[in-house]
Amino acid sequence: MKRIITPLIAIASIALLVAGCSSAAPAGSSTPVSGGTLVYATGDAEPTCLDPHVGGNYPQALVATQYLESLVSKNKKGDIIPWLATKWSEAKDGLSWDFTLRDNVKFTDGTALTANAVAANVAHLQNPATASSTGYLALAKVTGVTSVDEHTARITLSSPDSSLLDSFSQTWLAIESPTALKRSQDVNCESPVGTGPFIVKKWDRQQSVTLVRNNDYNSPPADAAHKGKAYLSSIEWRFLPDSASRYAALQAGTVDVIDNVQPDTIVAAKNSKGIQQIDAPRPGASNRIELNSSIAPFDDERVREAFIRSANVNDAVKSLFFGTAKRSYSALSSVEALGVSEPKLFGYDQKAAAQLLDEAGWTQKDANGYRVKDGKTLELDFPVSTNQSIPAEQSLFEQLQATTKEAGFKVNLHPLDLSSWYAALGKNQYNLVSAPYTKVGPDVLNILFNSAGTKPAPSGYFANHAQVKDPALDALLVKAGQVSDPNERASLYKKAQGIVLGGYYILPLYDQQNHYLLRSDVKGLRALPTVSTPTLYDTWLQH
Amino acid sequence: MAAALIGGEAPPRTTRRRRWLPWLLLRLGGVVFVLWAVATLTFFAIRLIPGDPAEAILGGPGSQASAEALAQARADYGLDQPLILQYLRFLGRLVMGDLGRSYALHDSVLSVIGQNLGGTLLLAIMSLVVASLIALGLAAWSTRGGRIAAGISSVLEIVAAAVPHFWLAISLILLFSSILGWLPPVSVPGPVGLVLPVLTLALPLSGFLGQVMRESMLDAMASPFVLSARARGESENEVFWLHALRHAAIPAIGLAGWAFGALISGAVVVETIFARPGIGRSLLSAVQQRDVPLVVGVVIVVALAYMLVTTLTDLADRLIDPRLRRADR
Amino acid sequence: MRRIRPIEVFSVVVIALLVVAALAPSVLAPGDPLAIHPLQSFRAPSFAHLFGTDESGRDIYTRVIHGTGASLLIGLAATAIGVILAMIFGLLAGLGPRWLDFGTTRFLEVLFAFPGLLFALLFIVIYGPGVVTSTIAVGLATAPGYARIIRSQVLVVRRAPYLEAAMVLGRGSTNRVIHHLLPNVAGSLFVLVTLGIGQSIVWASSLSYLGLGAVPPAAEWGAMLSAGRTYITSFWWMTFFPGLFIVLSAVVTTLLGRSLQQRLRSS
Repeated sequence: MKRIITPLIAIASIALLVAGCSSAAPAGSSTPVSGGTLVYATGDAEPTCLDPHVGGNYPQALVATQYLESLVSKNKKGDIIPWLATKWSEAKDGLSWDFTLRDNVKFTDGTALTANAVAANVAHLQNPATASSTGYLALAKVTGVTSVDEHTARITLSSPDSSLLDSFSQTWLAIESPTALKRSQDVNCESPVGTGPFIVKKWDRQQSVTLVRNNDYNSPPADAAHKGKAYLSSIEWRFLPDSASRYAALQAGTVDVIDNVQPDTIVAAKNSKGIQQIDAPRPGASNRIELNSSIAPFDDERVREAFIRSANVNDAVKSLFFGTAKRSYSALSSVEALGVSEPKLFGYDQKAAAQLLDEAGWTQKDANGYRVKDGKTLELDFPVSTNQSIPAEQSLFEQLQATTKEAGFKVNLHPLDLSSWYAALGKNQYNLVSAPYTKVGPDVLNILFNSAGTKPAPSGYFANHAQVKDPALDALLVKAGQVSDPNERASLYKKAQGIVLGGYYILPLYDQQNHYLLRSDVKGLRALPTVSTPTLYDTWLQH
Repeated sequence: MAAALIGGEAPPRTTRRRRWLPWLLLRLGGVVFVLWAVATLTFFAIRLIPGDPAEAILGGPGSQASAEALAQARADYGLDQPLILQYLRFLGRLVMGDLGRSYALHDSVLSVIGQNLGGTLLLAIMSLVVASLIALGLAAWSTRGGRIAAGISSVLEIVAAAVPHFWLAISLILLFSSILGWLPPVSVPGPVGLVLPVLTLALPLSGFLGQVMRESMLDAMASPFVLSARARGESENEVFWLHALRHAAIPAIGLAGWAFGALISGAVVVETIFARPGIGRSLLSAVQQRDVPLVVGVVIVVALAYMLVTTLTDLADRLIDPRLRRADR
Repeated sequence: MRRIRPIEVFSVVVIALLVVAALAPSVLAPGDPLAIHPLQSFRAPSFAHLFGTDESGRDIYTRVIHGTGASLLIGLAATAIGVILAMIFGLLAGLGPRWLDFGTTRFLEVLFAFPGLLFALLFIVIYGPGVVTSTIAVGLATAPGYARIIRSQVLVVRRAPYLEAAMVLGRGSTNRVIHHLLPNVAGSLFVLVTLGIGQSIVWASSLSYLGLGAVPPAAEWGAMLSAGRTYITSFWWMTFFPGLFIVLSAVVTTLLGRSLQQRLRSS
């Protein structure tokens, strides 16, 4: 028998050895120290391409922030500040912009940053073969780039673009080495080359991306805390999809920073010393439920309002997010200065809901309490993307399902993987849907609510899920995207949001949640005020 | 089963080696057939899934690919041709050992699998070994340790077999990482990172193996040939290790192929939770991303490994239980 | 006749309670399993809420009891699908002529060479997630496993000398099956089936973990387990009690099957 048990003992003794190895962090000074490897564990999906020009989603932006840089950035107040470009100016007619670039910056492959590099990047983003979506859309008005001199790029437009600076602050439009872009897409996806503080060294699929310090780095954004090269000598960027094991790894010290933190974990972390929290709501749209106004029963505004009135969002947010998320009454994220909030429109009121449904002709009820009209039950299909909606959000939908049932709505939740979810949207087989959309600036409204956004791309994708088709709204959004007078722009966007909110096309929930937890020996980590991705340039490890 | 073993004392060994060659050839033919059938079934089944593979090539759904880009991708990967032609080309390449290129990873399927297979195999083999040892230990203890031992080990086995992988994994992480702080919660290089994933896979499996092993051990210990062995004056140890164990091994080895499949299925969950690179995790994301070549490739490789395992177990069966060999006309 | 052991009494009592819970859940838990009380979410077990409450303030005890029917049905139905298919294939392979054995075995091997979870995964991705699809998927995925065991048992039994003797005595093959094979095969089958019920529930919960199982907010153990998994570090009771019932039902069915088997054998 002893022989049989021996391997178990061996395992147990390995366990004991490991226990002996765990170390305690000594108290240190507050002067940044150079060196060390930081382990970042992301719960976001592993990108299929490390070049955020290709496609263009949030997981790509997260990691690319460490090795790619943009023309401009934003400070905490939301003002545009210099980064790779030191100056910029808009032509009188608004049809061209001049960007002056830093003159001593080199990409990590040795190529110099010049006006031609900007031209090559815009061309790369606009080339259909690149299959860019976020960057491609943002550059819709750009007709070309010419170099005025070596370090001045002139961007020409088909019509004035008041969001051009917002667009160029995003990681999805970061500037990459034109030499590197000439390589095949597969190679560029594995090792994109930028001007950033770190360099992609190795990508072990399904495990991690290894980044090493760029020792020649000299181009931090204007709001960075220091100049020169980064403190960390390398970063291990790990993919850790399970939220419970991600937090356990942080507690055990296997990793230093985690993202996509669940609400209950944030609360638990608050009570555990040695862990700090960063809350950085994403810009662009708020998290909201969109009501498909193109098909019955939501083609009737009264039914849309009835649904919104009968959904008890506040109690759900309170119970599921433990105060880590604030209820939103706006189509835009709270970090967007031009967002309009209308709490009155979204008050919970079952009586009003019942009355609206009566008015709309849904007067009968079946045995289960669901409203019926002309023999049809008041049924709503709600495809839920299990990749995009966190568990707390999926529970929130269940609670809304229960509270809207009181008014007589039968909500059918369909949890789907991303491909099936897009397929359901493409076939217009939904009444309700919740889709995040991150973009810097209020121009996101034009993407989400312009009637042009109801026409699916060849792949079936479209952004206007509420299927708002209102010529007056379209006109407002187009005009707002062109005027350069800040006051006029603000007032146009305000009117546009009034139409969207007043038409009950969306039910706002809260900001797109974006919480990071880090061990207390990680210092100087901050989220970029552009798309709220963390930058590890100023970060150092206190050991 | 007891009745089956009455008079089941091993007959004298007849070593007729010439039977091995045809057996092996037949076996090889079987392997080729199964691989072909598995590849074919998967190839067609995966096309029933809603979603456009051309999108998978261009960075997944919602990538807003243009019509030209989609058409280009379809042409590049031969998706614009009739299905039967695609199938024939796929078979032709398969014969040459070419599994194609992954849509999502833009890398050859063979190299993706090559990077991931090792981790999964290591995990599966370690788990199988650990599970067998635990099962054997429990079965032996319960057979020879009296009624209380039998009761305890039987309950342990039954409970172990009834625990879901992900629940066990998270419980182990809670216990060994969060509370005790002994082991890393996620995979780290080296043997330490293997302990929790291996335990997660091994414990439920050991419950299964243990139950089956004990069943036949008890039968064997009560059977006439054991009685006669005892009567011949063999020691209790000899009886146990020589006779009972061998009989316990037959059904357990018969389960090895099944166990391998269960381990691969479990690996999908375990690799996700512990963030280990492996083909289980590749498979899950490939299915979700409609990455047809990678799904087909992983299935073929797993099928091949499975066939290898079953061939080996059948071989072991023939060595351990000569009745099967005798009856194999 | 052996005397009745305490563990058998325990199993029978628990199974009886589970059957009551499945057929008439309101007798044991009068509440509504779907009723939400957002402001009473995440309550720890107490007298008011025996098993605590979940993220929407639903009473977990009520949900577990009302989920018994669905969960056991998934287990039973999936196992039934698996075992019936397996019986057909296993007996065909074990008893038929050599060519049939060869054909069936190859077919089984094809099915078996698919990792079970992939089989289920493909099935669910094609037909959409839900209780019915995951039940069928689990049944299909487990069938080859049972079939293989049945076949090897049949082979061992069939080649036993006493059956060869029966053949010499000229008894027909149907007779042979009924009189000798089935009682022998049935023994191990019983263990497999009883284990299979719990195992199928466990499988279904793994599918739920991967986001492919029962659709929320249905009260079903696997779905509850996977809904609670994100909160496992903070609110253990959300996963503990549904998990306990999965393990408990698997354990008692196995124990019962065991003792029945022993009784059959000794009588």
